[in-house]
Amino acid sequence: MIATNLRLLIVSIFLGACFSSVFAQDLTGFDIMKLVDDAQRQSNDSSFNRMQLSSCKFGVTNGRITCADRPRVKSLESVAKNYGPELKDTKSVTVTLEPAAERGIGMLSYTYDETDRDNETWLYLSALGRVKRLASGDSDEETEPASLFGSEFTTEDTETGKLEEYTFNILEETTTAGREVWKVEMIPNEERAKKTRYSRQVHYVDKERHVVLRSEMYDQYEKEVKRLMASRVELVNDIWMSRSLTMMNLVTNRLSNMAFVEIYTDLDIEDEFLSQRTLTDAAYRETELEKLRAQLN
Amino acid sequence: MSRFCKRAGLILMFVAPIAYSQQNEQSNLEDEALLSDEIIFDDNLFDSVFDEQPNNGPDSWLEGFTFSVSQQFYGQVNNHSVEPLPGFSFPREAEMENNRLGINIRYQNGFAPGWLIQASGQTRTYWKHDYEHEANNKNIDAEYRINEFFLQRSFDQHSIKFGRQTVVWGETVGNSVLDVINHFEFRDLTIIDIEDARLNQWMVVWDYFGEGSNWSSFINLYPEFNPASVRGSPFFFEPEFNLTDYKRDGEALAEVGTQWRKSFDRSDISFMAAYLYENQLRYEDPVSGIGDAVAKKNDFLLLGFSANRAIGRLLLNFDLAFSHNVLADSFNFPGTTALSSPLDLKKDQIGTSFGFEWAVDNEQSLSLGIQAQKMLDEDEGLLPGQQLFNQGVFGSWLVRYSNILLNSDLTLSSTLQGDLNGDSLLALLGVNYTINDNWAVDAQIISINATSDSPLVFFDEDLRVGMTITYSY
Repeated sequence: MIATNLRLLIVSIFLGACFSSVFAQDLTGFDIMKLVDDAQRQSNDSSFNRMQLSSCKFGVTNGRITCADRPRVKSLESVAKNYGPELKDTKSVTVTLEPAAERGIGMLSYTYDETDRDNETWLYLSALGRVKRLASGDSDEETEPASLFGSEFTTEDTETGKLEEYTFNILEETTTAGREVWKVEMIPNEERAKKTRYSRQVHYVDKERHVVLRSEMYDQYEKEVKRLMASRVELVNDIWMSRSLTMMNLVTNRLSNMAFVEIYTDLDIEDEFLSQRTLTDAAYRETELEKLRAQLN
Repeated sequence: MSRFCKRAGLILMFVAPIAYSQQNEQSNLEDEALLSDEIIFDDNLFDSVFDEQPNNGPDSWLEGFTFSVSQQFYGQVNNHSVEPLPGFSFPREAEMENNRLGINIRYQNGFAPGWLIQASGQTRTYWKHDYEHEANNKNIDAEYRINEFFLQRSFDQHSIKFGRQTVVWGETVGNSVLDVINHFEFRDLTIIDIEDARLNQWMVVWDYFGEGSNWSSFINLYPEFNPASVRGSPFFFEPEFNLTDYKRDGEALAEVGTQWRKSFDRSDISFMAAYLYENQLRYEDPVSGIGDAVAKKNDFLLLGFSANRAIGRLLLNFDLAFSHNVLADSFNFPGTTALSSPLDLKKDQIGTSFGFEWAVDNEQSLSLGIQAQKMLDEDEGLLPGQQLFNQGVFGSWLVRYSNILLNSDLTLSSTLQGDLNGDSLLALLGVNYTINDNWAVDAQIISINATSDSPLVFFDEDLRVGMTITYSY
C-alpha cells in the first residue's frame, strides 16, 4: 500500500496535465483537483521509480531553512501497475536499496478500489525467511494516516481520490516562487473529517502547468502543522511534475525530502512480477528489473 | 517475595512499553518566526541527489556487500540463590556473561540473468569476562561461521537454490510446530527469538511458481542436529559423559519435503509433507560406561497444514502437524531421563500452534502464539510406573508487543513467554534506537521466573541486562 501511495503521490500533489491555460480559466477548485486525479491514474500505470527519501531536523541559517543534522537517507525502487475494469486497482512492489541495514526488504501491495474489499500487503524479511502477510490490510477508508518509511510524509499526504468527500474554494489568484497560482482550499466533509488529521489544506496550483508548488496543512485549531514545498518541476513523459518534494512538520521541526531520481511510465511490466515471487526469488527479481532497466535505455 | 508478586512484576515489565506509548505525546516545538514567509526555503537543499548520473547498467559486484560490526555486553545482575530441589540451593551471583565483538557480512549478487549468489557469515571475538573467554582459559577467543551460502538459478516458472540455506514452514510467529526443518542453537539467553537461533543447512530447494499456487520442495543433503551447549554458556551443565555430535561413520543421511501454497483474498493456505530427522539428538550412556555419550538420531514423517486469515487489522494464524514415529523421550540426557531406563520408544504426535497478530494502529502491534502438542497412545510400550517426559498436553505460549516511535527511529518491544503448565515465565523488554543510517543501539532486560518442575529452574529469579551497539554499512 505504501508503494502504491508513493505512486499516487507522484501525481496527486504535484502533477499537471498539459491542458491549455485558457481552458483552465473556467475551472472550479473541484475541477482542478479532478484533473489532477484523472492524470494520476494515467501517470500511475506501469511505472518504475527510483526515489530517495531524506529526513532531518531543520533550522534556519542565514535566513534559509537548512538541515540541523545529517539527513537520514533511504533509497527505494518501486514498480506499479493498475488493474481492474477502470484501472482503479493497483499492484505494486517496493524494495529498499539503502540504508545497508534495510537492504533487500521488500513489500508487495494490492490496493483495491472497492470499499468492501480489503487491501493486501506482504512483507519479505530475510531474517524471517519467508513471506509474511501483514495485518494492516484495511481499505483506505478505514486506515489511519501512516508515515511513509519513517518520513514526514504520510499516506494521507499521498492521496487525492475521493474528491467528493471534500469541498473546494479558490481563495485567490496570486504568485509563488515566481509563478502564477491559484490558492485552492480543500475542506473535508463530516465523514472524511473523522479520518483525516487536517481540518483543511491549501494548495498553490501553478496556473500554467497545473502543478502544486506549495501546500499548507492545518489542524483542528487552525494552526498550520505541515507545509509542502515542491521544486524541480519538469516535463516527465509528457506530464508536468515536481521531482523534489519537501514536507516540513511544523510541530516537530523535522522535514523530509522525496526526490524522484528516476520516473518511467508506460513500461511493459509482466503481471507475474507483481506477485509474491518477486519478494522471495531474488534472482528472478533482479532479472526482471534488468529487463525494466533495459526499457529505460 | 511471593511467586505471584514476582510474576506480577514480570508482567508489569511487559506492559511498560504500552504505558510509555500512552504518555508519548509530541510537544509542539513550533517557532512562528521560523516559518514566516521571510525565511527562504532553499529549492536546492536536496538537489545533489539529481547530480548523480542514473545507473541503469549492471551494478559493481562490490555493491552486493553489507557489513555490520557490533559490540555486545550482557550480564546477569541479580545476586540470589536458586533452590532446584528442596534443601539443595546454590548461589547465583551477578556476573558478565557476554562481552564480544561481532562482524556480520552479507553478500548478494545477481551476476547474470537468472543467476544469483548469496552468502552471509559471521565472526565473533570473545573479550575478557565473556563466558567463552572464561572457558578458553581466560584467553581471547574467536569463532567464524558461514551462515547462508547458496547459488540460485531462476528460469520460467522455476527457481532452484543450492547451498546452505533455511526453509521455514508454518504461519505462527515464534513457536510454530511446523518450523522444524532447520536445526537451532539457543546458545545463551541473548538468543530468545527462533529467527536468531535457526541454523542453515546444505540443501537443494526447488520452487515452482504456478498460475494460482506455488510448490516449494527441498532435499537436505546433510541433515545436522542441534549442537550441544557450549562449555561456559549459561545453558552448559557438566554432563556425566561428553555430549558429542552424531557419528555418521560414512552413513548417508537425507531429508526431503514439499509444500503447496495458495493465496486467496485475505488468506494463505499451505499443505506440507516431509521425511525428516529430529533436530534434537537423544543421548544414551556409553555401553562400556566410560567415554562419550552415545548420540542417537531418529527419522520421522511429518504431515502439516497451515493457514492465515486477515480480518482488518487482525491476522489469525493456524498450524497443524502430525508426526509419525517421533522419539517419546528425545529430551534424554545422561542422568536426566524421565524414564527409569532409556527406551527407543517411537510414537505418533499431534501438534498445533495458533494465534493472532493485531496491528493496534500504524505503530503498535500485538501478537499471541500458543503451541500445544500431545503424544498419541502415551502409555503404550511403557513399563508399569514409567512416565513420559512430556506427559499429556505440553507446549508453550508467546506474547509479543512492539511500538514504533520517533519516525521509526525508536522501537520498544516486550515479550512474555511461558510453558502451558505455568511452570516458567520469561519476560523481555527491548529498546532499539537507530541513531543514524549507520549506528543503532539495542538494549534488553530479561527476567526469568520458574518452578522446580521446569528446566528453567536453574535461571529462576535471574535478571539479565544487555546492550548491543551496531554499525552497519
